[in-house]
Amino acid sequence: MDTIIKFENVDFRYEGNSDLSEPLAISGLNLEINRGDFVAVLGHNGSGKSTLAKLTNAILLPEKGRVLINGMDTANEEEKFNIRQTVGMVFQNPDNQIVATIVEEDVAFGPENLGIEPLEIRKRVDDALKTVGMYDYRLHEPHKLSGGQKQRVAIAGIIAMQPECIVLDEATAMLDPRGRQEVMETVRMLNKELGMTVVFITHFMDEAVTADRVVVMDNAKVILDGTAQKVFENIELLRSVGLDVPQVTEIAQYLSNMGIDVPKNILKTQDFVDAILKVLEVQC
Amino acid sequence: MISDITIGQYFPGNSILHKIDPRMKIVLTFAFIIIIFLCKNFYALGVMVLMLAIMVASSKISIKVILRGVKPILFIIVFTAILNIFYTDKGETWFEYKFLKITSGGVYIAIFMAIRIICLIIASSLLTYTTSPTMITDGLERLLSPLEFMKNSVHTVAMMMTIALRFIPTLIEEFEKITNAQKARGADLDSGGLIQRSKALVPIFIPLFITSFRRAYELAFAMECRCYNGGEGRTRMKQMKLTKVDFVALFFIVAMCVAVIMLNMNFTHLL
Ligand SMILES: Nc1ncnc2c1ncn2[C@@H]1O[C@H](COP(=O)(O)OP(=O)(O)OP(=O)(O)O)[C@@H](O)[C@H]1O
Ligand SMILES: [Mg+2]
Repeated sequence: MDTIIKFENVDFRYEGNSDLSEPLAISGLNLEINRGDFVAVLGHNGSGKSTLAKLTNAILLPEKGRVLINGMDTANEEEKFNIRQTVGMVFQNPDNQIVATIVEEDVAFGPENLGIEPLEIRKRVDDALKTVGMYDYRLHEPHKLSGGQKQRVAIAGIIAMQPECIVLDEATAMLDPRGRQEVMETVRMLNKELGMTVVFITHFMDEAVTADRVVVMDNAKVILDGTAQKVFENIELLRSVGLDVPQVTEIAQYLSNMGIDVPKNILKTQDFVDAILKVLEVQC
Repeated sequence: MISDITIGQYFPGNSILHKIDPRMKIVLTFAFIIIIFLCKNFYALGVMVLMLAIMVASSKISIKVILRGVKPILFIIVFTAILNIFYTDKGETWFEYKFLKITSGGVYIAIFMAIRIICLIIASSLLTYTTSPTMITDGLERLLSPLEFMKNSVHTVAMMMTIALRFIPTLIEEFEKITNAQKARGADLDSGGLIQRSKALVPIFIPLFITSFRRAYELAFAMECRCYNGGEGRTRMKQMKLTKVDFVALFFIVAMCVAVIMLNMNFTHLL
């Protein structure tokens, strides 16, 4: 498979005010993300997830090692804009990433910075807004939209730059369940239909279970990496770094340990229901 | 509440006034304001009021909204008018008490002044009601862009204005949230003298400042992520082109200007 993001032995630390050297926020990180994947990144507060995100598009530069985006080194100043065009980023607070006072003008901000022709910008803005389902709101003022809608506008602002990869740093954290749902659906659609690579940083397990791959971070390092099923088998390890597993997985493992014949790695409620029904059928 | 403020607010729409090129609109609004101050009598001012009425009608913005914009400065208007009543003792005396003397001349001047200020407010708010803030700052940027030596700073200032306008509603919302939070903690904001009240505002403004700094920091990141690099090499989605509407508007304002000058010359008295 074709790699789009590649971390090679990356160290990073924030400059502190004091003379004492700060601890590493990312330490010895090796990570490859394949084109077209939907990767969820999990981790406790302060585990380095946001730092990881900012390293992917040259907002932060590694102290040691390299970060390569499509083979371009983020440390290379000349490639900076190419890199940022390749990897788009959506942040947690939708209010703090909307620049303009009208939805469509905000979506146009990125393409305008890239120096694209006005007619092409118009087309991209309309397409992006249709993709996220906010076309009818194109003339609205962002501050009058709901959280989920604002976040979708922010996503449209990124898609209008036509990136190959989109990194969402807890983009659902400030939203209500409905807003979360809207954003999740949009992002999944981007991945499935447009083939965009998605790196989805989150605190919510139920958002992570649908990913192709789950990366768990703790203390500046990746501690688990694999399919959702593999990763969520490690209940004890996840617990010890302050993360939960989905509730059904926990129950399934409990039952399985008690000797009941259900698979240990169930992630979705429906699968669990099916498994239980099967067990009951066998017993009757 | 503060959120009632309508000055600087934009009402999206499709009227003729909305369609005028922002650059033309800015220039014509300035011209209009200057001409208001050139008026020397009620006839000339009448022409301007008529013109303003046409503008309001063609903006398709409701009279209510327009009047709401005037309300906050009603006090200033009344105050100026009252001062002006005593400014002159020309004309016939209508009322006299000790040193107070109200004459017809004074009253006319007061009315004249009040109408002038109201026209001024309505004209300038029409500009912001019918032009999105980004278009205003864009228009200003493009109007000033021939000044090659300060091109960069023009872009920077325009960008700063856009962002400031974008964050006004957000900060107002935040201000109200913090006020309520402090009230819930027992902060007393509505009683006491001026000093006590201003002191009570400190615990509101400090959190507001801190969150604003954080917002600014995050916004800067987000802008960088979207390849923002100052004004250089930047294109715009909306192009500005002068069309027929612009020349019609220009014609109207020029005609009005000529009418005002003629009336000024023909009638030397206020009435
Ligand atoms: N701007 C900064 N300056 C100094 N230290 C920072 C800065 N941002 C983060 N850190 C530190 O770097 C470490 C990793 O932070 P990071 O923001 O990447 O965590 P995170 O996993 O995103 O956490 P959260 O879930 O709270 O968003 C933390 O110990 C944090 O204190
Ligand atoms: Mg974070």
